[in-house]
Amino acid sequence: MPGGIELKTEVLNSSACTLCGACLDWCPYLKNLEDNLVMPFACSVQDGRCYSICPRTFTDWQEIKAAVFQSASGTLELGTFTAVYKVRSVDSLNGQQDGGTVSRLVKTALEEKEAQAALLTASDDNITPASMLATNAADVEKAAGSRFLVAPGLRKINEAAQKGIEKLLVVGRPCQVQALRKYQMKTGNSPMQVLSIGLFCMWSLSWTFKDYLEKTYPGIIIDKISIPQHGVEIASSQGTKVLPTEKVKEYVQPGCSYCLDMTSELADISVGAFEAEAGWNTVLVRTPRGAALLQKAVDKGYLTLEEYPEQQLQGLKRASLNKKARNLKFIKDAVDNGSLKAFIDLSQPEYEQILAQAEGTVNS
Amino acid sequence: MELYLPKDPLNIVICGVGGQGNIVASELLASALVNKGYYTTVGETYGASQRGGSVMSHVRISTIKQCGPLVPLKEADIIVGFEPIETLRIARDYGNPQTRILFEPRPNYPLGVLLGESLYPNIDDIEKELGELCGTVQLIDATKIAIEAGNPQAANITLMGALTALPEIPLANTDYDQVLQTRFSGRVLELNQKVFAMGYDLVNQG
Amino acid sequence: MEWMITADEPGKTYLLQGNEAMARGAIEAGLQFAAAYPGSPSSEILTMLGHVAKDMGFYAEWSTNETCSFEACMGASMAGVRSLCIAKQNGLLVMGDALHTAALYGCKGGVVLIVADDPSAHSSTNEFDARHQARSASLPLLEPATFQEAKDMIKYAFDLSEELQQVVMVRGVTRIHHGRGNVTLGELPVSKSPLNDKPSQIENWDKLFAINFFHDAMYDKLNRAQASFEQSPFNWYRGPKDADCVMVVSGMGWLYGEEAIDTMKLNDQVGILKLGCTWPLPEQFIVRHLVGAKKVLIAEEVDPFLEQNLANIIAHHPELNVEMYGRYQARAFPHSKELTPDLVINALADIMQIELAPKPGVNIEPERQVIIPPRELTFCAGCPHRASYYIFKQALGLQAHGGLIMGDIGCYTLGALRAGHYGVNSMGCMGEGVNMGEGLGQLTRFGFDKPVMALAGDSTFFHSCIPGLINAKYHNSNMLFIVLDNAATAMTGFQPHPGIGLTAMGDPAQPISIEKVVEALGCPVTVADPYEIEKSIAVIYKLLKEPGLKVLILKRDCATLTMRKGPKRRVWVDTDLCRGDDCGCGRYCSTTWGCPGNIWNSTKKKAEIDEVVCIGCGVCTTLCPAGAIKIEGGEE
Repeated sequence: MPGGIELKTEVLNSSACTLCGACLDWCPYLKNLEDNLVMPFACSVQDGRCYSICPRTFTDWQEIKAAVFQSASGTLELGTFTAVYKVRSVDSLNGQQDGGTVSRLVKTALEEKEAQAALLTASDDNITPASMLATNAADVEKAAGSRFLVAPGLRKINEAAQKGIEKLLVVGRPCQVQALRKYQMKTGNSPMQVLSIGLFCMWSLSWTFKDYLEKTYPGIIIDKISIPQHGVEIASSQGTKVLPTEKVKEYVQPGCSYCLDMTSELADISVGAFEAEAGWNTVLVRTPRGAALLQKAVDKGYLTLEEYPEQQLQGLKRASLNKKARNLKFIKDAVDNGSLKAFIDLSQPEYEQILAQAEGTVNS
Repeated sequence: MELYLPKDPLNIVICGVGGQGNIVASELLASALVNKGYYTTVGETYGASQRGGSVMSHVRISTIKQCGPLVPLKEADIIVGFEPIETLRIARDYGNPQTRILFEPRPNYPLGVLLGESLYPNIDDIEKELGELCGTVQLIDATKIAIEAGNPQAANITLMGALTALPEIPLANTDYDQVLQTRFSGRVLELNQKVFAMGYDLVNQG
Repeated sequence: MEWMITADEPGKTYLLQGNEAMARGAIEAGLQFAAAYPGSPSSEILTMLGHVAKDMGFYAEWSTNETCSFEACMGASMAGVRSLCIAKQNGLLVMGDALHTAALYGCKGGVVLIVADDPSAHSSTNEFDARHQARSASLPLLEPATFQEAKDMIKYAFDLSEELQQVVMVRGVTRIHHGRGNVTLGELPVSKSPLNDKPSQIENWDKLFAINFFHDAMYDKLNRAQASFEQSPFNWYRGPKDADCVMVVSGMGWLYGEEAIDTMKLNDQVGILKLGCTWPLPEQFIVRHLVGAKKVLIAEEVDPFLEQNLANIIAHHPELNVEMYGRYQARAFPHSKELTPDLVINALADIMQIELAPKPGVNIEPERQVIIPPRELTFCAGCPHRASYYIFKQALGLQAHGGLIMGDIGCYTLGALRAGHYGVNSMGCMGEGVNMGEGLGQLTRFGFDKPVMALAGDSTFFHSCIPGLINAKYHNSNMLFIVLDNAATAMTGFQPHPGIGLTAMGDPAQPISIEKVVEALGCPVTVADPYEIEKSIAVIYKLLKEPGLKVLILKRDCATLTMRKGPKRRVWVDTDLCRGDDCGCGRYCSTTWGCPGNIWNSTKKKAEIDEVVCIGCGVCTTLCPAGAIKIEGGEE
């Protein structure tokens, strides 16, 4: 197996890194500050854990899907799921994004001892992400709301394992859930059980976006960032600023453009915005453990569910397919011009289908 | 006082790694010799290294004249090595089949070895090659002795004890003791006197 | 040793280092004032003088730089006192302007300038030959060839200096300064200070003006020096009258030359003309001894200085008809590096067409030879500079385009080697880093996108960085200037500097805070501890984001000072936790950190601490990803 040097050349130097953080805090050679992840000193380890758990090194995703979901049936656009709901919390929580579903699921998991700790991302200034291991309701409340800057939160799995945590809940971006599944494959006999809540993610932003905001609006204090249809909305001490999405996309983390997963397809349960109506979330239930967690949150009176409108489901599928198709082209181009080593088996029929279907959608 | 040397000049090369105290050792030896009336010249090569680099002192003793500060190649009569590979390095350059070697077997690893890029040679192989290059080779566990006596830093004086016991060196152990007394006092003096005697006895009996 | 250089034991012989011999010589000469900036291999002179100054009734200081020291000596000389300035070859160039102007007006009390050259650059970046400066400034020049001369010449130089009213330069080399030999002591001076008799030595009409009007007078002094050198006891000839072959030697050339002649038993055939006075050359004396010679072998250190000046004399004397062999065109000796006894023997054998017997020695076939790993220079165990370069590597690694580090001169220069991960982009002379950084930092306006850092040690900061810092501040260069403050002039042997609070004579002084100096210039200044690795990386990362000039002081005592202070904390490895060669470490503590204290047990396949060299700084305990390195008093 390859090791650190290969990770450096194939992932870090190819701008393929998503900053999931899975490789950090185990390995002393990898160094991170803000959104920079580098290997300043050469690692000579041949069979590197970093390489084997990175979501941007070659992976047989079919094998992982088969291991996660006993039946590997699933949709091309949204992966495997057993149910889809429109969900929101019964009471609203300070700082919550959309329906507040994730916070309630985490709270439920901690209260019901489904997890001893939850890996979340908080922020002191509503923009700078800070990863944390939450163990109580107050921690969970601190982490409410979405973070749009990349943060290597998955580094905390190593801390959790070292602390002897047996049941861990991870809330993560699609790439982090991918890394998590690879981590579970690699450390199969580890005593730590992990339950995952995957977030929907179109892309994440590099930290230069923060510099841009500070430069454009000196002294700005941010209350909340959200991405409704018409652009990126910054609620702040200086009123609400709306930035065109295209402007914001200049700051997308480079590694995000190789991402084929919008809905965290490998998670136990995935949560995202419900585009048609503010204050609601979309929830895709993917595994029995995910279903059980949602059921408990409903039983505890934290969440209410509604049937998911078919039209919205089609919209969600289309959005996901578009992302897949667009980024698949980026991957192919980068692989063709030698700037990226393929981390997926491009000959799989799935990828042909994505391109064909996306083509059809555009044409129709 | 009658001055006598088995060979004139008598050339001694003392080598090791920066920080081991071999400069001080050679200075004490040379002082004792000058006090006895010998012409003694010390050439020290230590460069920019407070520590960590190769260090050597040449001590040249004569009854006739002040010698130059460097021993010509292959003309060392005695080599005192504070570190195994440094001893071998010096023995290759300055040793001849008559050269007598005293050396400390404890390695001081160079950076390349620490970084895992080069290997530190086996002590037996070093000793074997020293034996082929030079006349007699004797291991002196100076650091071990110094640690037993209370401080590894005193290994240099231990080796000087061993050196002084060699028949070629025109010094009695009391001559060296006088110099120690002018340089040290209190517990450091006691320690140095103790390890000097231990090193001296090691060669004198062996 | 202090007691030897002050011992009132004329005629007694001791083993003295060349530096000690020179210090003793200055004391015998009635030295009143001494000033220097440290520089190997000369530093021990002023250290010794400082220690004994109070007892012996003179003044000694470690000046902030060489210009300060030389001009202070010239000032003291104006009042009639004998003043000694000491420098290494680089330091001589630092004071170059002062030296050349002072030569125009000359001195009153004797001024002797000792310059320690470093052939082969054992402890320097270069092996410049200081003698050119004596000729360039028209100063008389002496070169000691033995340890005894190292002492005796200083008194001679002071007498000559006062006789001529001119600065006299004495040029030693590493083998003299850092060598040791028998030195017989002379008388200590009786009278102490001329100021005692006449406190108001300087009259109101005494003025020292460096104006070109004195150029002729300066030459006149040189001519008088030459006349004096014709009679000097430091020049002599040994050998047969009218020898065919004469060696002309100065400095180390004498002992090596004598040894070569003795070894080959050529005493009846080869003469040796030993010159202690090498600028201006004693022309008549030389002509007298070369008139019958056919071949001349010149043995001198570094440049063909003596050789070319000799050629000049030969050109003016048709009665001389000799072939010259020396450093010129590497006809007898290589262009660079110091002389060795073997080089001199071989050169003489060549000229005399003697076949030397092969040296005794055993040849072992290369394939049977033990492979000896090279011994690179590295930082001491626990050295804060190792931590600093480790920090720089990571902080710049986190930059999109890397970054440049403009180095400077001090122990931290070793950062240019593997010990500092080849961490600097330049290293040349003192004070260079901040100035080169200033220049590069101005290029941001043209799109230059690499962050620029510049380094200086604490002693270097005072020596030569303040004007550079002012320049960088005034022009607001985009640069991070880092002072590696280890509270020591460590490389040359812990001489006090203005930040330390101690003088050369052991008196307390008000230390000057680097931080406050920087602040007074209006520079934002941050102080961090290089032992706190993560914190320092974050500090540099943050500072590099800010535009303009930033200053960081990385403050931590030199490891050698720490070790001297007392008992160290024990550090050990918990081998159960140590991951060894496996992933998640790959023996990081030894392969990457590279401290001599962190060794690898190849039998157990586990990390270990070499307790003999470890100073107990504990930095490696914070680097081990498994927390396997433990420190006494640390977390269990």
